[in-house]
Amino acid sequence: MQKRTLFLCASFLVVALVAGCGGGGSTESPIPPAAGGGAPAGGGAAFDMSKATATVSGKISFDGMPPANDKVQMSSDPYCQMHAADYPTAETVKVSDGGVENVIVYVSSGLPAGTSYGTPSNAVEIVQQNCHYIPHVFTIMTNQTLNVKNGDMTLHNIHVWAEKNPQFNVGQPVKDMVSPTKFATPEVPVPIRCDVHKWMGAFVGVFDNPFNTVSGSGGKFELKLPPGTYEITAWHEKFGKKTAMITVADNDKKETNFTYNANDKAAD
Amino acid sequence: MQDENISLHRFAVLLACCTAFLIFVGGLVTSTQSGLSVPDWPTTYGWNMFTFPFSKWVGGIFYEHSHRLVASTVGFLTVVLTIWMWIKEQRRWVRWLTTAALGTVIMQGIFGGLTVIFLLPAWISTVHACLAQTFFCLVIALAVVTSPQWKHGLPLMKSRAESIPVQTLCAMTTAAVYIQLIMGALMRHTNAGLAIPDFPLALGHIIPPFTSNKVIIHFAHRVGAVVVTCLIVWTFSRIARSYSDYPLLFRPALTMLVLVCVQLSLGAITVWTAKAVFPTTAHVLTGALVLGTSFLLTLRAYAMTGAHISEAVPAWK
Repeated sequence: MQKRTLFLCASFLVVALVAGCGGGGSTESPIPPAAGGGAPAGGGAAFDMSKATATVSGKISFDGMPPANDKVQMSSDPYCQMHAADYPTAETVKVSDGGVENVIVYVSSGLPAGTSYGTPSNAVEIVQQNCHYIPHVFTIMTNQTLNVKNGDMTLHNIHVWAEKNPQFNVGQPVKDMVSPTKFATPEVPVPIRCDVHKWMGAFVGVFDNPFNTVSGSGGKFELKLPPGTYEITAWHEKFGKKTAMITVADNDKKETNFTYNANDKAAD
Repeated sequence: MQDENISLHRFAVLLACCTAFLIFVGGLVTSTQSGLSVPDWPTTYGWNMFTFPFSKWVGGIFYEHSHRLVASTVGFLTVVLTIWMWIKEQRRWVRWLTTAALGTVIMQGIFGGLTVIFLLPAWISTVHACLAQTFFCLVIALAVVTSPQWKHGLPLMKSRAESIPVQTLCAMTTAAVYIQLIMGALMRHTNAGLAIPDFPLALGHIIPPFTSNKVIIHFAHRVGAVVVTCLIVWTFSRIARSYSDYPLLFRPALTMLVLVCVQLSLGAITVWTAKAVFPTTAHVLTGALVLGTSFLLTLRAYAMTGAHISEAVPAWK
């Protein structure tokens, strides 16, 4: 009889323990782990940006008819459904004036080794607005603060699918809440997804130098570089990478263009 | 004469049905890629999971949170069953079997939490899936051994000269199904489900070029399907030929045969539809039902061939 009583008490204790887990309606969300220390990228004194006098500009074109983007179904969240008309399709391929937007353009080789570039003190912000990430594609430097903001009156869950940096997955149940994070290691690209809203996606390029940008309207881009010979890479989430070599001297203004077509495909 | 405790048996059956439903709901979570829609555990976006507002069950949260609630319900029912068993059940081994089931479902809950906390590592997700099947078998065993038929004693069958005794054949089939389920879970949680996107050929061949680990895992699951099907057909043929007079064996054997045909169809449809949510999840559930039926058949086969320990009910000490 005593054994039975003891067993019954233990069982009730287990049930009570499980039922008691969790607080009330907390609106706080854990800040994702800081991905590294605050030391500037590279070593030694920071690079003097006034020496980046050469300008490399260009256009990323699309040859032929760009493929249609997938339609987006937002009915799983009534709040998002209210804004469905704003974004009827995914943002995978955005072509304007024959140019491809949202292409990360960066220096993939040619920068002098061991050069330190100061970490910008300003934070980069990605906002979840009307159930979409704004911006869709962006760049950031290592150890620069990225503020993830929920601009919607609905739950979002930002999941960063990094491979070289620690992944994180943070719930943001409250409008205007901000979760800061940083990336310690250069990585291109780092996909960002919302586990609640499957159509939401963004990409970030993490660099240890400031010589990168994202193509804008008309597929145009511009980089300011110090004199030297560089490999410039263009990366698109669907069409993959293209590279070009360029040599610039002080105050040079040079142009380099990239062209994608429907057969180009990003590596898995 | 011992009380039949029919209510206890019915409760065990209810738990088994709820567990099957939970396996389906859990399958939906993976099929809709909602496993990380709720990034914290055991809370839900900071709320106690039982007080999370229904208005916030949006998108993937609906599947993941529902899964947690159904799992909690199954856990609670298991606690009730365990307490009830310790009060009413006279057979010590049945009480401890129920306790083992309770331990398994608690472990299952912990693994479920770990999958979320560690962002779905493949091995934890696979263990979580396999524990679900193990728990399902334990609950089926409890339903079987608390049944009036079992307690009164299943009819003993005449022994036959067989190269492989029927109970061994049933056990082999159950083991093969379980291994196949492990392979299926591994395939799902390593995203190898469409590593071979065509069927019945594999990358245009009967045996595909093994260009990646995912192709190997996927193909192993297809080979496993062939092995399992052969064993089930063999088992059914044996029972239909030699034991058709025993409905306690024939009916589950026939059910198993029907289920494996459905399962093969669902597997093909899953590939053809590029893992559409419903057929994929139905494939998970049907796999569990094949396992459950095979396990039930094995228990009965052992009981009816006199290969089990006598069911004399000891006095409670």
